[in-house]
Amino acid sequence: MRYFLIDHITEWKSGEFIKGVKSVAMSEDFLEFHFPKNPIMPGVLLLEALTQLTGWLEAASSDFRNWFLISKVRKSNFYSFALPGDQVELEVQLISPGENPNLKVYRGTGLVKGKKKIVAEFEGEIVPVAEIEDPDEQRRFFQVLTREMKL
Amino acid sequence: MRFLFYDKITSIEKDKSITGVKTFTLSEEFLRGHFKKKALVPGVIYVEAMAQLLGWLVIYSYDFKISAIMSLVEDVSISSQLRPGFKAEIHGEIISTSRRDSLGKAWITVDGETIASMNRIIYSHIHKVNSEALANLFYYYSGIRV
Repeated sequence: MRYFLIDHITEWKSGEFIKGVKSVAMSEDFLEFHFPKNPIMPGVLLLEALTQLTGWLEAASSDFRNWFLISKVRKSNFYSFALPGDQVELEVQLISPGENPNLKVYRGTGLVKGKKKIVAEFEGEIVPVAEIEDPDEQRRFFQVLTREMKL
Repeated sequence: MRFLFYDKITSIEKDKSITGVKTFTLSEEFLRGHFKKKALVPGVIYVEAMAQLLGWLVIYSYDFKISAIMSLVEDVSISSQLRPGFKAEIHGEIISTSRRDSLGKAWITVDGETIASMNRIIYSHIHKVNSEALANLFYYYSGIRV
């Protein structure tokens, strides 16, 4: 699978918050095993979606110089299941920049039709985008993620 | 991708502990896009590996009469900068269990060094299950016939 857990970014504010969506499709190959004959979006992939959204916030807030790698989960509650056909509305916000500028704490939520699926508080390291991806390609992909259909 | 994050269960003791192994390779599907210039095992994969393995211990301890679904994880530390090409040993322990849920902890070591740890994980129990089907899955997933 392509390890992209965000389909679309709807709103963001530099250094503060970001919102995006992930649509769960029956065609996702991880649903074959999670669980056999009972497809449920794995909770940790919702956590990964929040982590990737945080990466996009760090990138967009730093002119595509920074990315975010999760290193601690303080707490993550998995309230109920996201199922094929659901659109998960995800939001992440910075809760403290931390004393170390390379370590930040974020809080994220995932809702389906207003119902909580995940609430997580996590920490991560800020790493240079250029070490892991081509910054210009990331910038272009961010435009794809944030584009709106104009008629 | 096949959403299975252990290759084999190496030891299991009812109501107590479980150990399994997982070899992380460059061919893992989740490395597509994580990332293009540097392959790094995503931290949440370790969370899933620990949750899956310990979940089997809970199910096994109840003789496959329940299933276990992760509902909370707390106080988790994970290495974020590991390149594939290592064999991980996953360890899990049940701390307490009741009819409704189970509490446990888990950790992962590579060559004796801890690369991930999870101090609390809670599983909700699901009582409507097909025990025979679960036991057969366990055999396929673990290599252990029950």
